[in-house]
Amino acid sequence: MNRRDSEIDSGLPININKKSMSLTAAVWARFCQKRLGVLSLIIVISLFVIGILAPVLSPYDYRQTDLTSALLSPGSEGHLLGTDRLGRDLLTRTIYSIRTTVIITAITVLTGGLLLGPVLGLLAGFFGRWTDVLISRIGEILSSLPALLMMILINATLDERLRDQIRKFEDWSGIDGLISTGAYSYFLVFGTLSLFFWVGSMRIVRAQVLSIRELDYITAAEALGATPARILSRHIFPNVAFLIILGVSSALAGIAGSELVLTWVGVGVQPPMPSFGSLLFEGSGARTVRAYPHLLLVPGTIVTLLLFCFVLLGDAINDAYRGD
Amino acid sequence: MSSRQISGILLGIVGILVLAIGGLSAILLFQGNEQQTTTAAVNQNVSSIEKIDPAGRELRLPGGEPVTLDPHLTTDAVSGAYIVEIYSGLVTMNAELEIVPDLAESIEISSDGLVYIFSLREDAKFHDGRGVTAEDVVWSIQRAASPELRSTVTLEYLKDIVGVREYYYGLKSELAGVVALDTRTIQITIDSPKPYFLAKLTYPSAFIVDRSQIESNRNWVRSPNATGPYKLAEWNLGESIVLEASEHHYLGLPSVHRAIYTLAGGSALTRFENDELDVAYISINDIDRARDPSSSLYKYYQATASMSLSYIAFNVTQAPFDDVHVRRAMAMAIDRQTIAEVTFNGMTLPATGILPPGVFGYTEVDKTLPYDPEAARAEFSKSKYTSSNMPPIVYTETGGGASAGLDTQAFIEQWRQVLGLEIEVRQADWASFLDLIDSNSAQMWGIGWSMDYPDPENILDIKLHGESRENNTLFSSPPINELLESARTNFSISKRITQYQEAESLLIEAAPWIPLWFGSNHVVVSENIEYWFEPPMTLPRLQHIKLRD
Amino acid sequence: MLQYTIRRISVLPLLLLVITFSTFCLTRWGPGDPISVIAGQVRDPEVLAQIREAEGLNDPIYVQYIRWLGDASRGDFGESYIRRGFTTWEVISPRLWVTGQLGLAALLIIFPIGIFAGGLGARFRGSWLDPTITLSLLFAAALPGILVVAVLQWLFAVQLSLLPVGGWGGWIDIYWIAGIVAVPIPDPHIYIPLIAYTLGGFVGVARLVRATVLEVNRTDYVRTARAKGLSEGVVQRRHVLRNSLLPLVTVVAFSLAGIIEGSIIAETLLGIPGIGSFLFQAIGSRDYNAIQALTVIYSATFIIMNLVADLAYSLVDPRIQVGDT
Repeated sequence: MNRRDSEIDSGLPININKKSMSLTAAVWARFCQKRLGVLSLIIVISLFVIGILAPVLSPYDYRQTDLTSALLSPGSEGHLLGTDRLGRDLLTRTIYSIRTTVIITAITVLTGGLLLGPVLGLLAGFFGRWTDVLISRIGEILSSLPALLMMILINATLDERLRDQIRKFEDWSGIDGLISTGAYSYFLVFGTLSLFFWVGSMRIVRAQVLSIRELDYITAAEALGATPARILSRHIFPNVAFLIILGVSSALAGIAGSELVLTWVGVGVQPPMPSFGSLLFEGSGARTVRAYPHLLLVPGTIVTLLLFCFVLLGDAINDAYRGD
Repeated sequence: MSSRQISGILLGIVGILVLAIGGLSAILLFQGNEQQTTTAAVNQNVSSIEKIDPAGRELRLPGGEPVTLDPHLTTDAVSGAYIVEIYSGLVTMNAELEIVPDLAESIEISSDGLVYIFSLREDAKFHDGRGVTAEDVVWSIQRAASPELRSTVTLEYLKDIVGVREYYYGLKSELAGVVALDTRTIQITIDSPKPYFLAKLTYPSAFIVDRSQIESNRNWVRSPNATGPYKLAEWNLGESIVLEASEHHYLGLPSVHRAIYTLAGGSALTRFENDELDVAYISINDIDRARDPSSSLYKYYQATASMSLSYIAFNVTQAPFDDVHVRRAMAMAIDRQTIAEVTFNGMTLPATGILPPGVFGYTEVDKTLPYDPEAARAEFSKSKYTSSNMPPIVYTETGGGASAGLDTQAFIEQWRQVLGLEIEVRQADWASFLDLIDSNSAQMWGIGWSMDYPDPENILDIKLHGESRENNTLFSSPPINELLESARTNFSISKRITQYQEAESLLIEAAPWIPLWFGSNHVVVSENIEYWFEPPMTLPRLQHIKLRD
Repeated sequence: MLQYTIRRISVLPLLLLVITFSTFCLTRWGPGDPISVIAGQVRDPEVLAQIREAEGLNDPIYVQYIRWLGDASRGDFGESYIRRGFTTWEVISPRLWVTGQLGLAALLIIFPIGIFAGGLGARFRGSWLDPTITLSLLFAAALPGILVVAVLQWLFAVQLSLLPVGGWGGWIDIYWIAGIVAVPIPDPHIYIPLIAYTLGGFVGVARLVRATVLEVNRTDYVRTARAKGLSEGVVQRRHVLRNSLLPLVTVVAFSLAGIIEGSIIAETLLGIPGIGSFLFQAIGSRDYNAIQALTVIYSATFIIMNLVADLAYSLVDPRIQVGDT
């Protein structure tokens, strides 16, 4: 899917407060008219909620093996969607996989697109000169890299070293369970993903900052004693907010897809925490599909639905913004 | 419609037509395609074999891509499988796993067991027809041990020969222990009498290579001139390897004239069913079908044991595995029998000891600690660890992809249920895995070991002797070490076996390892093959396979 | 414009330098090394240490890197650890050929069909056909590659036995009619990977074509041309077509990038001997030379694609200033 940020118009018309307020409202209104977009938003939100409520909603423990009920088909007694090779309930594992995807996508979006990116963009735009050059060049390098390749490489090579460091940290600080709960493996995955996803929002914010800071009325406001915080909140933020949302929504499918591939390859979320990558891995292979199709089709359908809705959502927001 | 749309539509239609025609042709011709290629290949192939026997007997099998075809560098079984067909040495293993002379016609051992004299056969020839001389043998062994070659394994298999260590480290410029007495006799001296020395010589480190070819051609390994029953006819990287019987080999022409290994291609079983392969290995997904008398696969199915052991190893210097009771408790808490039946569909055999079937000293009696949850808990309570001071435990394993091994996941559950232990699984890729074990940072791990030769020394001594460099458990027990050392030089076969069996029992009781499974091979073999030989370990096998006329 | 182009091109070597140096350090910092992998389970630490020394793996990183850089700039990517006896280039180049051919073939399929679909969509805008086309193509693009390959394998290879389940047999097979006439037909191994690669690419081309056609048809000069009495055909050919095609250059770059990333998974699943499947083998065996070479290949391709796309994009839309914004 397209991750390109230059697809999103960065040569913006300059907005003064009032217009930008109604811009957001106008876009939202247009969005609500798109049935497909609204539908996909509803589905995405529902899936997110399911994911968060996973422990409550799942009939079984996702780790619980029951060798006597292995490889049951969907509709078997007690297992709505069947079981896998170790007798673990597939419905439970699917729900937890949704949760994994939800968490990772959300955190990546938050850290990369909504935190790291805008902050760096602000710094680059505000302080200019060397900060700008440095940040922009790094961004250029990162966006020129084949992301998947680098993510695989990074995860494969750094995993062990970082794990050692975290263990030392655990010993030193007395905080326990960082690794055993699986939090660490999440950290590594969304860390790497964020690394490649901050560039887009950085560029958006930077462009906006650059175009605004020279305006007369800003200079006037500063002369009148407006603090940088005020300038930020009233001038910069409203204009970039929607753009960032735009950029992020286009990237959602890419982020979820990358996590899927990383886990499938083995460098993403570690077992026993289920993820669509691991469920698909266990279910793929022509002969497995022939013998036990539900192992592939159950997670496959759900993850396709999720990805499709991400795509439609991003599309609808994009269309709404452009007034198509 | 505008002309633009028309041209767009036309372009699209043309594209679709191309695909459709191609697709239809493929469908119609796919069945016939294979015969076309095979016939074409045979017709083009003007080798002397066809002159003798125009039938062109071919065997098509799946194969892995070898890391190297240089016998002195090989360390993995995939490369080894090709190497033992292309190259050969003084001795080899026959189908019954006995050490028999190969290029050597006769072997004399001195009474003190230190000096071996090999006489070469008259008809020992290279693929190009040149006769093998004692000089070739001496040079080959020297090359294997040469510092320039940088082989990682030569020392392991040839270190018993006097002077090899010094030569390898560049301390001496001559290999004292290997001498050519005349053009057909070689004398090898070893450092102490070892009954397993000849077994070690069957490993490719002692295979013969052609000096003039190696010294003149940098890329010699792509079409090596060697002494094995087959020569390397083609090596298409990533696609296929073709071996052809060497007409100069002293065994004469085998039943299989050509072996075609396809290296890529996805599921072997599907290709077997589409008649692209003559043999395929069965995975757990299809084992039910293969064993079902009413299925089409049943009549082709064969199962044999392989000489390998999968086990869990403990680092006995790391808590909590410094306490033997913990290790024993964990061994008794897992139900390997049920897991083998249910999770693996009966495809693996629960191990009955450390020595796999076929190794001297193997018995069918189950010597392992039995599955007994009560006893496991009782054993655990004897340890100095309780649930409050139990340190975190990490189980390390290697895997490809997203899932931990199925048996691992089952074990983890059982350790949780029976002993209340929460064990974390850490998957590392092969290279990291080796690193972790080497640096002694792993607490417990799962791994396998395949025998190189059917002598218990190859597993009990190498892996579990207290001072062995390959002993990663760091376990050392003086009585066991003594038994192993004494067995090294004991030429009485029955006494050796007893010593190894005693060592095995002691090791099982002390549990630095939990033996899990003995390996087995499950194959389907097509009707083109009259007799299929599935070797339990790496040894030349193409010569034992008989094709149907 | 020219200045910008020159600046971007001149940055290329620096970019490659940074990227290759990072991968160099990354792989060596991580656990395991090629000697250890080669040794397998039979490992004498003394022996391994000796070999590492001889191979130069104990030298400081910058020394090793400069050595590699010097060799690489002369085209020497070193000896392969994963296929001993061959150089890295000899191992990679046939694979590069396979992946490259598949990628180009996929592009050649995506474009005609995508253009066709986009043109249809523009023509029938407002009817049910337009959104259906867009939605189906979007769906095809959203499908995870893993799923697509698994289902295709199952359907065509296992169930219907029409296609081989994986592997590679070249592009063309020769079929002899009655032993006299030779007919080249496509090798059946290419179908599943081509389907897997192209599914995701249609939507990008189709939407761009559709949007451009619609937009250009509305512009003043096209209306003027019509008003002048030029025939519809001339209008289409001279104005609409020409302007619709240039933006496609940008999509080429994205599509190729997507195909390359998708090839990593598809080749592994299908057992196709390309550089995608080789990537995992190289990483798994810690074949430093192979990993470096692959990084150079992938990065150079990506960077060039990016550059081409950017330049084409700016040519297309003069409102977009190329430069620091």
